[in-house]
Amino acid sequence: MPRLRFVLRRLAFAIATVFVAITLNFFLFRVLPGDAVRNLARVPHASPGLQHALAREFGLDKPMWEQYLIYLRELAHGNLGVSFTTRQPVSGDLRQALLNTLPMVSLGTIFAILIGTVTGVVSAWRRGTVLDRVSTNLAIAFYSFPTQWLALVLLIYLSNWLPSHGMTNDFLVDPSFWQHELDVLRHMLLPSLTLGLTLYGEYTLIVRSAMLETLGEDYILTARAKGLRQRQVILRHALRNAMLPTITLIALSLGYIVAGAILIETVFSWPGIGSAVYEAVTKRDYPMLQGAFLVLTVSVVFFNFVADLLYARLDPRITE
Amino acid sequence: MSAPSSFSRARQHWLWRVLAESGQAKAGLVVLGIFVLLALVAPWIEPYDIHQQVGPVYASPSLHHPLGLDDGGIDMVSLLIQGGRISLIVGFAASLVAMVVGGGIGIVSGYYGGWLDTVLMRITDYFLVIPDLPLAIVVAAVWGPSLTHLILVIALLLWTTTARVIRAQTKSVRERAFVHRVRSLGASDLRIIARHVLPQIAPLLIANTVLTIAVAIFDETALAFLGLGAPNSVTWGTIIEFAFLRTAISSGAWWAVIPAGLCVALVIMGCFWLGQAIEDALNPRLKVSYLSPRSFRVIRLRNQDTQSTPDTQSTPDTQSTREVEQP
Amino acid sequence: MSQLRRVAVAIVTVMVAAALASCGGSNGDSSSVLRIGTSSGISSPNPFVGYNQDDYSVWTYIYPTLLQYDTTKSGFPYAGNFARKWSTSTDGRTVTFHTVPDASWSDGTPLTADDAAWTLTMIKKYAHGPTATWAGSVRYMTSARATDKDTLVVTYRRPVASAYSDVGMTPILPRQVWGQYATGNGKQLTTFENVPENGKPLVGGGPFVMTKYTKDSIALFARNSHWYGPAPHISGFGLQFFHDEDAMITALKTGQLDAINEIPPTSVSSLQKAGQHVYVGPALSLRDLIINSDPNKTKNRELLDPQVRKAMEYAVDRDAIVKTAWLGYASPGASLVPAGNATGGTQWHDPDISPLPFDIDKANQILDSLGYQRGGNGIRVADGHQMSYNVIFPQDEEGAGDRAFQIIQRGFRQIGIAITQTRLDDDAAFQAIYGGKKSGYQFDLAMWDWFPAADPGFILDAMTCKQYGDWNDSGYCTKQYDALDLQQDRTTNASQRQSVVFQMQQMIYAAKPYIILTYDKRLDAWSPKWTGFVESPQGFFNNFSTQSLLSVRPA
Repeated sequence: MPRLRFVLRRLAFAIATVFVAITLNFFLFRVLPGDAVRNLARVPHASPGLQHALAREFGLDKPMWEQYLIYLRELAHGNLGVSFTTRQPVSGDLRQALLNTLPMVSLGTIFAILIGTVTGVVSAWRRGTVLDRVSTNLAIAFYSFPTQWLALVLLIYLSNWLPSHGMTNDFLVDPSFWQHELDVLRHMLLPSLTLGLTLYGEYTLIVRSAMLETLGEDYILTARAKGLRQRQVILRHALRNAMLPTITLIALSLGYIVAGAILIETVFSWPGIGSAVYEAVTKRDYPMLQGAFLVLTVSVVFFNFVADLLYARLDPRITE
Repeated sequence: MSAPSSFSRARQHWLWRVLAESGQAKAGLVVLGIFVLLALVAPWIEPYDIHQQVGPVYASPSLHHPLGLDDGGIDMVSLLIQGGRISLIVGFAASLVAMVVGGGIGIVSGYYGGWLDTVLMRITDYFLVIPDLPLAIVVAAVWGPSLTHLILVIALLLWTTTARVIRAQTKSVRERAFVHRVRSLGASDLRIIARHVLPQIAPLLIANTVLTIAVAIFDETALAFLGLGAPNSVTWGTIIEFAFLRTAISSGAWWAVIPAGLCVALVIMGCFWLGQAIEDALNPRLKVSYLSPRSFRVIRLRNQDTQSTPDTQSTPDTQSTREVEQP
Repeated sequence: MSQLRRVAVAIVTVMVAAALASCGGSNGDSSSVLRIGTSSGISSPNPFVGYNQDDYSVWTYIYPTLLQYDTTKSGFPYAGNFARKWSTSTDGRTVTFHTVPDASWSDGTPLTADDAAWTLTMIKKYAHGPTATWAGSVRYMTSARATDKDTLVVTYRRPVASAYSDVGMTPILPRQVWGQYATGNGKQLTTFENVPENGKPLVGGGPFVMTKYTKDSIALFARNSHWYGPAPHISGFGLQFFHDEDAMITALKTGQLDAINEIPPTSVSSLQKAGQHVYVGPALSLRDLIINSDPNKTKNRELLDPQVRKAMEYAVDRDAIVKTAWLGYASPGASLVPAGNATGGTQWHDPDISPLPFDIDKANQILDSLGYQRGGNGIRVADGHQMSYNVIFPQDEEGAGDRAFQIIQRGFRQIGIAITQTRLDDDAAFQAIYGGKKSGYQFDLAMWDWFPAADPGFILDAMTCKQYGDWNDSGYCTKQYDALDLQQDRTTNASQRQSVVFQMQQMIYAAKPYIILTYDKRLDAWSPKWTGFVESPQGFFNNFSTQSLLSVRPA
């Protein structure tokens, strides 16, 4: 059963990577300069003992290795710990942040796929023409714009029409279900449009080259000679050929996009995982950081694993 | 099949050949050339001193100041020229560090193989599965801010891809007949690497480095935006950051934001065109390809007609994220 | 393809529908709900966890406090809130509050002086642990008890000058909610979330109750029908949190917000152009250049010399900082206690302390006379090393602070002193300033700000020896100053206390652990559709009083 052995080997490898990441992350955050409790203790009416009280409460007075073992033990029980700043369980805060980020990122990816497919098809179809060159280079240009910059530019020109901050209009009084969903969607448009624009270049190039592979020059000529209907058949065939790499790309990039959302979330005040990580770094909120990095690492490893399996299915030689 | 045989025959000319044959490469080189030239002569062509206030805050573009003034009343054109200088220094330096470190690790790992390979590749795996930007934020906060640290932080994000690519290429070069021949004649490892392996992988390494410059400049703007850029110096990243911090958008001062981003995009596109042209020339037969997530690198999907030996499997066909799972 | 097309059509349809829905205007009954934007936000609604300015303001509106400041009058005299009358015994050790009779919490439970006594006693009991963030309110307190249901008597070990603002401004918590957590080691006092649950508002006793809270985005408040005071004009208010000030300002311009609590100076003119009302007034905040004053510092000891500090102050172009960094919305500063600082009718800022003028020649004369000659690069040499220093710069100061730094840098350059900026996040910045008990203060220069409390005791105390490693960020420490601090802290007679406070400001000004750069101006903005805001040095939404949101109403 080479297939099963392959899957198991990859699985073992993925788990090992996650474990290494957990360990390194734990120590990485603890070498940050500054003190997790000092900021929290610097409040106007605090007693001088507050710092020590907090350190004791968070277990930071114990030796590092002991803290590490406690962390592992708790993690084994599915416990991500309690956030230093909000004193609430990290798992809850993280889940909320992820639930906020995922729809925005998904809509952005859908935008990217749509724009990418259309421009990719056009480019491949008009291969070598000015249109192809303009469309391909425009795709690369959007891919090259700094994310935060593109977000700011969209803010300049679109913020008069679209909400530019947060997830919902919280002042809606008793919104119906649909009102609420539409409100969220409207708020999601600018951030996900930014994401879609910065990413669509990936899909343009992949669709274009996948199409070109299928459409030999002769094909195009023949198709043109035979008229539109034939052309559509080929388009369909060619696009199907582009599906596999596109799907793989989605699987591969999702983990990175979620983490990369920091910049977009900062500009649009989106309370997602990116903002949570950034906030946690500045506040030295170790449990939150560990939790967030764990989730991000696991998702990257997981999607890679999925991509691997996808390949294995499509190209059986890999498992040999 | 991945052996760039045409280059090994006339490798002193390979770069020229790429440039002569590809319009894309020329365009890339011209764009990069202009920006490098601007950076070199910056001190002489700056219209105003970037440490002097020359007018009111956010003054709009005028004859004297074609791109207006920023939130400190400083001439934007001068800032862009000076900022480009530092941005390019960061980009080039970080890529250079990544090239040396990544290339070195790739060669050692690919050439010697065995446990050394395993250990080095496990380390690169860690860096590959940790999302770039959060890692950079943490490291930048740990090291504290300075231009050198900024360069090192960015290099830290870049070297893994180079290491992966070079390792695969080294592995395949090592198994070639002529290397075996030289080894049987008693040449030392160092000599083989320097005389035979390095020249073979040089084009790939250069293409890679050109592409990493793009990523480095991109990362610099991102870190600057999050307040982790180099203090005491102006870069395109800090120009955008300041505009954001000082509400340029709602003040209507588009000139404080837009030109800097366009400069960044132009340089990145220049790198992309040039690097891509070299890579295309190295490996023209590969067909289906895609841009990898945010690394400005076109990734080739496995070719249907690839011979399935272990070595060709890890040729540059698959890079970046795909490589995580390579045993 | 057809599959994809169907998806595309579906998405476009949804987007069009969304756009249409938005045009319909669906803000419901929002006309009497005041929508406030803030870039600070709520860190936690739990009074033993939160630390942001907005947190304190929220507690002031949802919990009863005994007293408040009347910010409509100069000097900010005390005004009653839950207490209607208050007095101090002649020995200064007993303070008596007479509270509103027949008041109740928002859940209908009676609200009496006993609740206040319970809250203070509970804070006292756990002051070294869970309730440490409010420990300052019960300093030297020996007991707090209700002699009858409308009388609270607080006794002290020794007189405490700030007793009214300490005890008077502490939120009184409902015992029926918090009592269950104040047991054992009291740890649950901090882990209790204190947010509205199951659609029920948070039990409170102020003019408003919190009805909804979403971390990092929104908090909503509604009128508390059980409140003992006159009903507010508005039916409620909301506090929306923004990362991005541009988005916040655009939101006000486009009518998505009604008011912004603190706007950046760069946006004043664009808001005025858009027809929004902008308030400009004195603020309770200062920006300072810190010069390490730890006598045990090992390197660059020339910076300890008051003459060098004087030269440095001459080289600071405060007017340029006000003009460029703050666009005119700040004023030159000199004393540790900002000009806006007054409580209980007494002005604490010493008006006789004024900044040194910007005078490069005078600065150069001083440095020349000290024998610090310029080297080849124009930088002076002191005791064998260049006068080239690092300025620790926390992220707090980003933006305007960067511009101020550049102006200082330009000035110092002209007197042969080079400075560079080390930008750190706030936590790392304080660590760079204070390296722990062993190394103490080793830095040279730093920039930071203070947003002092209303009572001057806090900022004055921050310069004492006992605050080493906590609030003290300059290493300044003298016996004489500490003695004065102790004296002002126990002087209950306001005018006597004022003269001590003035003396302390003069000491700090002479020794210059800080070169005070500027005092901020308070900048707030609101839509002309609203009127009746009561401003304060901390804005229209503050923890000084509940006046503002009680009198605000649609214009």
